[in-house]
Amino acid sequence: MSLIQNLIRRLLLMIPMAIGITLLLFVVTHIVPVNPLAVILTERSMDDPEAIHAATEKWGLDEPLPVQYLVYLKNLLQGDLGTSFKTKNPVASDLKDFLPATIELSICSFIFAILLGLPLGIISGYKSGSFVDQVTRIISLLGASMPPFWSGLLVLFVFYYKLGWAPGPGRINPRIGAPESVTGLFVFDSLLKGNMPAFWDSLHHLVLPSIILGWFTLALISRITRSSMLEVLSQDYIRTARAKGLAEKLVILKHALRNALIPLVTLVGLAFAGLMSGAIMTETIFSWPGIGRYAVESAANLDYPAITGTTLLIAIIYMLVNIFVDMLYTIIDPRIREG
Amino acid sequence: MKLNRVFPFVMLVILLASMLAGCGSAATPEGSNPAGANTAPTEPPVAATESAVAPVGGTLIIAMNLDDVVTLDPAYAGETTNLFIHINTYDTLVDIRPEDLNTIVPRLAETWEVNADFTEFIFHLRKDAKFASGNPVTSADVVFSWNRLLNVAGAPAFNLDGVGKVEAVDDYTVKVSTTVGDDGTAQPLPQFLSSACNPSLGIQDSKLVKEHGGTDAADAATTDKAKEWLDQNSAGSGPFILTKWSPKADIELTANKNYWKGAPKFDKVVITHVSDPTTQLQMLEKGDADMIGSLQTDLVDQAKSNSELTITVDQSLDENYLAMTYVCPDVIKAADPAKFAELQSPDSFAILCKKEVRQAVAYAIDYQGITKAVLNGYGTRAPSIIPVGIIGVDPAKTQGRDLAKAKELLTAAGYPDGVTFDMYYASNATRDTVAAKIKNDLAEAGITLNLKPLEQSVYLTQMRAQQLPMAFGGWTPDYLDVTMWTDYFGLGDRSIAFRMRFANPDANALATTIRTTSDAVIRKDAVEKLQAVIMEEMPFTMLYQVQYVHAFRNDLKGFQFHPVWFVDLFELSK
Repeated sequence: MSLIQNLIRRLLLMIPMAIGITLLLFVVTHIVPVNPLAVILTERSMDDPEAIHAATEKWGLDEPLPVQYLVYLKNLLQGDLGTSFKTKNPVASDLKDFLPATIELSICSFIFAILLGLPLGIISGYKSGSFVDQVTRIISLLGASMPPFWSGLLVLFVFYYKLGWAPGPGRINPRIGAPESVTGLFVFDSLLKGNMPAFWDSLHHLVLPSIILGWFTLALISRITRSSMLEVLSQDYIRTARAKGLAEKLVILKHALRNALIPLVTLVGLAFAGLMSGAIMTETIFSWPGIGRYAVESAANLDYPAITGTTLLIAIIYMLVNIFVDMLYTIIDPRIREG
Repeated sequence: MKLNRVFPFVMLVILLASMLAGCGSAATPEGSNPAGANTAPTEPPVAATESAVAPVGGTLIIAMNLDDVVTLDPAYAGETTNLFIHINTYDTLVDIRPEDLNTIVPRLAETWEVNADFTEFIFHLRKDAKFASGNPVTSADVVFSWNRLLNVAGAPAFNLDGVGKVEAVDDYTVKVSTTVGDDGTAQPLPQFLSSACNPSLGIQDSKLVKEHGGTDAADAATTDKAKEWLDQNSAGSGPFILTKWSPKADIELTANKNYWKGAPKFDKVVITHVSDPTTQLQMLEKGDADMIGSLQTDLVDQAKSNSELTITVDQSLDENYLAMTYVCPDVIKAADPAKFAELQSPDSFAILCKKEVRQAVAYAIDYQGITKAVLNGYGTRAPSIIPVGIIGVDPAKTQGRDLAKAKELLTAAGYPDGVTFDMYYASNATRDTVAAKIKNDLAEAGITLNLKPLEQSVYLTQMRAQQLPMAFGGWTPDYLDVTMWTDYFGLGDRSIAFRMRFANPDANALATTIRTTSDAVIRKDAVEKLQAVIMEEMPFTMLYQVQYVHAFRNDLKGFQFHPVWFVDLFELSK
């Protein structure tokens, strides 16, 4: 099967999966024994039977559940994710507000994790037991075990408050102000508009949260790369390559690394999607107006449309990344495509 | 094939390159800008070159938690932070200033008249006031704003409860009549002047709002389309203009240079969202913020040790209370078996419906200990439902802890060997601490309290459906008339009184008197009597009344805390 056919098939398969997810979400959120009017209305209007009646009707809460679900699906097909109980805005527009900040942060964390994790993993694998290996082990251990709400506060205290090397929380200095919005990614938008102060400032603001958010992924990448390298280096073809008298650099980078990368690609794909949904704590500590906060608050408020919309979006990102990773996989390792 | 193999490496190179161009190079200029920011209120080289965007020296930066802001349309917004934004972007007709919380003063209305039975209010508007757009403020704008508020029927519409009709008598005169009751007479509304001070009742520029799809028609709830625009812009005559709102990030206000009281001292105010209190203080200390929303009490010592900061302790009117059910389960069962079946812990209902048990609980709690544990001592306690600072409160009547009396009352209730019941509450860090403390305190009096923490939404659902034997809540005022508290706690057909089944005829009659009488003496007398009834029946015992600690940089002048809308930015200067 060709790559393109496979891709189309996978994309089409996403549709029933997405529908399944909405159904599951719908059932789960509605099982909870809570009256959503508690969120929609204020403390005072809960006293007013008229207001309760009007709200029930307006939000379609008097319909039987299957009907509510079908209405939701029908709107979904038209690109309408519903209106948030809490913000009273269309969920799609809320997501559009919050997603760019998360994407920007995730990309930067991801780059940080790969750029540092990969070389550290390679060196640790190649020279296991060395000083670099030990240091990497400690960094990974800290990254995997320190919760971001703690490490985030710690780095803010040290690098912002004590040393003054890094800027405080937020995406940009309020005295500079956000660049004119095109994509919502500040770094990108400010470059587009040639707004250099905003560009540098938003880059500065990305450093600490990216490190904190990317730390766990870094730990993951460096450990997997290390073990993968160790395994590959003991293979016969490496011995052969060395016996041929190839330069050690060539053996490592060409023969070993390429084979060691295969398990890593899957991992890295999922890790990227994980960054998108796992940013909640980092976003809170760094006052980052991303989708994580929105997701948590909608869950706490039992804001059905917002919960479903956010989960659906994250699920779709996961599915897309999965497809992308699988495609990449077949490119790296042709045996998989044929299998 | 060759190309395919190269692909992942090409991707890696692209990632590398973008890292170098992006995050990587960020380290360089950042390293060259060391801690010196401490002395000069942070204008890094970066900001200095950006004079076109940020007017240097003219920007006030406030770091506070903006999590509650979901809209900035005054007809929809019902959260706490909105009141602060709206008082600074819209003008109300009348005002209550922080210096004197019991006196109503002019704002857009120069004078007003109220008839003897509080059913008609006539406001005379000042003629020199203009909206930021340049349009004059007229009675038509008042009619539009209040009708839009009523008809959109959003969260703040309750501020106009009891208002029947808003009319323009002439261009600068507005007449408000109250609703007509079933008996054909107009209902008195003594608190109306006070609620007219609420920032939600600020006056909107009707021309501007209509241009952006706004309407005050009866079907405004579905036909009004101005919310999206009003979320990002203001249409008021206030000292500042809302110029941008990025949810969970910041709110940007720009000075209204044509403000009728004169131009504000700051060109721009940026309120930036920082949820962590420690980080807020760090920003203040570094000069990245001029002022913070409020200082968490465990950080007061750190803030005090910094000579560049000014700290103020301000009394709020936020009450926190423990409520206990008033009606026994057998009565509930007889009246409505379905309701009875829904009760959580009917056994606890049967115990708490005894007056002596409720009184014993009130006597067993160590209130000072709670204030210390939760507020580090920054709090006070009112004798009953009316907070300290409002008329009719005599702090000398406050009853503290008395374990011997609590035990005595328990014996009188028929539980000499102690008793056990359940307390449900919406769990969060503060309430968990308070609940644990209450459990310990009650244990000393022989009461075993089973704590049942619930998810907030579950708790609200059950509590509002009258299913819980105890409730643990807070009450923050929207306006400063005493009915804010007497309605809520005293009238058995609504609010917490209904939810705890506190249908006491005396309390009901007194609360109704307060609601319907304009005579100050009769009102004050009823307020005092109502508190006495509640202290005797004890459906509610007040736990603590919060004091807020505020912190700002020394060069900021004019800060005065207001318990409803925080601070008037017009009064601030550097």
